[in-house]
Amino acid sequence: MTRFNELLKHAVLLFGALIVIVPFYQMVSYSLKSPAEIERGIGGFAGSQALMTDEQCVGRNTPDRSDVETARTRFPGQDDSHVLGQLLEEVRAECQVRPAVFNYTSAFSEAPLLCYLLNGVIVTLSIFVIQVVVALPAAYALSKLRFWGREAVFGMVLFCLLIPVHAIALPIYVGLAKLGLINTYAALVVPWTISVFGIFLMRQFFMTVPDDLVDAARMDGMGELAIVWRVMLPTAVPALMAFAIFSVVAHWNDYFWPRMVVTGDRSLFTPPLGLREFKADIDGSLYGPMMATATVIVTPLIAAFLLAQRKFIEGITLSGMK
Amino acid sequence: MAEVKITDLRKSFGDTQILKGIELKVADGEFVSLVGPSGCGKSTLLRIIAGLEQESAGSISIGTEPVSGIRAADRNLSMVFQSYALYPHLTVAENIAVPLRMRQMTRWQRLPLAGGLMPGAKRREQEIAAAVAQAAETLEIGALLDRKPGELSGGQRQRVALGRALVRAPAAFLLDEPLSNLDAKLRVHTRTEIAELHRELGATFIYVTHDQVEAMTMSDRIAVMMGGEILQCAPPQKVYADPDDLRVAEFIGSPKINVLPAEADAMGRLSVLGRDLPIAVRPGRQTLQIGLRPETLHLARGDAKIVGRVVHLEHLGSELFAQVAVEGLQGRLVLRAAPAQAAALQIGSEAGLDFDPASALVFDAAGMRVREILTAPAKSLAQAV
Repeated sequence: MTRFNELLKHAVLLFGALIVIVPFYQMVSYSLKSPAEIERGIGGFAGSQALMTDEQCVGRNTPDRSDVETARTRFPGQDDSHVLGQLLEEVRAECQVRPAVFNYTSAFSEAPLLCYLLNGVIVTLSIFVIQVVVALPAAYALSKLRFWGREAVFGMVLFCLLIPVHAIALPIYVGLAKLGLINTYAALVVPWTISVFGIFLMRQFFMTVPDDLVDAARMDGMGELAIVWRVMLPTAVPALMAFAIFSVVAHWNDYFWPRMVVTGDRSLFTPPLGLREFKADIDGSLYGPMMATATVIVTPLIAAFLLAQRKFIEGITLSGMK
Repeated sequence: MAEVKITDLRKSFGDTQILKGIELKVADGEFVSLVGPSGCGKSTLLRIIAGLEQESAGSISIGTEPVSGIRAADRNLSMVFQSYALYPHLTVAENIAVPLRMRQMTRWQRLPLAGGLMPGAKRREQEIAAAVAQAAETLEIGALLDRKPGELSGGQRQRVALGRALVRAPAAFLLDEPLSNLDAKLRVHTRTEIAELHRELGATFIYVTHDQVEAMTMSDRIAVMMGGEILQCAPPQKVYADPDDLRVAEFIGSPKINVLPAEADAMGRLSVLGRDLPIAVRPGRQTLQIGLRPETLHLARGDAKIVGRVVHLEHLGSELFAQVAVEGLQGRLVLRAAPAQAAALQIGSEAGLDFDPASALVFDAAGMRVREILTAPAKSLAQAV
């Protein structure tokens, strides 16, 4: 019976894991396959990787009159249309690529993906750093200092957790527009710098830090701000990592807000906006390069998570204080 | 090094009075223990001295300076906490160096990386490292300097916490139950060490504990606190032998003092359990209590003042404690006997107890000590009949 229960548990978990993983599988698979394979849904995970013709490459290099003139010597005694045909064959032969290479190179060449990635790094890091600079002292005050109205302030923090961002997006947009900040990094960063979630999370963590530690720091001659940065910050590393994951993932993947405040200036695009470059136009949707872009965008997050995971679990134990 | 003077100190949280007018003067270089049961306000008093808690009324001065309103960091005191409160992310050496770094280096010199380039930073760092090494040597923790607190045992952490306190020379050391997280054996050992350390440094120590043995063994003077007041502040021997208050007598001493109800007749003559004693108090009181330390009771050779039955024996090797149930008494009497007397004390056997009336501590009904003890006047013939 227990054996059956174990099996059942694993089956349910596996099913859940599959639901999560299938879209990722599809994304990576599409990023490797040729358009024909994608359309017909064949080729398994990686496709056959048979050579395909890069039509855009052909389009760029289509031979014109002068090419025919210069090439005439190579094809003595043939008329122009024949020469043109021969040249076209050569161009097509040169534009043969493997589908995976095609998808990833066009991801980087058709859109300035590196620039978008850099923007993503600048924006998410700025947001996270400022959030920490704001949230840590606030959380310290809310957990370790006694002042009139503390509970009321904390109540307001909790209340702010309930406000959905989309509800206040428009007023914030108008405010930023009035300040002339639309199409700047500031517009991407400023609205997110005060994270009530961060304040709440850090406050809950600081509640578990013994008061004696704070008192010891005071006896050792630290001011309140020194206590925040020299004592609370280092002990809060595990909680900060958790918060970092929430914050960085949310803002790296955010499509809604950058789409609102970055209008037109492509040098400010964040990675998710880069995906739009491959949306359907005359050529039809280029799913391969689009999924290659998506893969490139999520890779840093997954890598960062895997690196942070160890730190996450190890943390700094508070055992030194007991 | 400085004296600490506390005048009419009061503290209340809302309507609850925690401290009710504390008066205490700790002389320069003195070791004073604040001892009392939990909730008596001793830790609050220490925290107010430290500046971690604000007094409601009254004043404190350290040296000649009144310190009201001065924050903890600026009072020049060192404190050792019950939980040690070491910085978990710093090594032992860094932990010990913190008070010096915070006080002797400028904000710029303390900056990570860049701080080392500031003028004078290197020399300061060297001085601090030397001071840390010396403190570590005093406490014999030199081998642990590179470890993190999480890798240390309780006793080692306690030493590091002491090291952090004594790495500089503050006006006074405050210790808040520093031994209560140690196991019994280590506690006895560290007790001696702290007392020796105090003698060596000649510094002012204020030591909070709920353990009367710690207070007795280490202090120059003990301040026994109860209910937010200091009941008595005196050297250990005096607190033990000559308590002002029954609560002090009961708190100090292990096993606890025996308390017997006593009556005084119209002439002031005392009697216990119906037996007359050759001592008297001033007439006017009727019900009194007398306290008898276990060592003042002994097995009666002839006529016993108190007769009871032995119900429990505790052999401690060097001595023997017998609990004796006496009819008419609620608690049991505890008697200290020499191991040689073990044969006379069998569980269930009857024991006749006697004591020297002069060693009895007499308290009035409210528990205040009655010091004026007279020789009982001879009973008149009429009364005797």
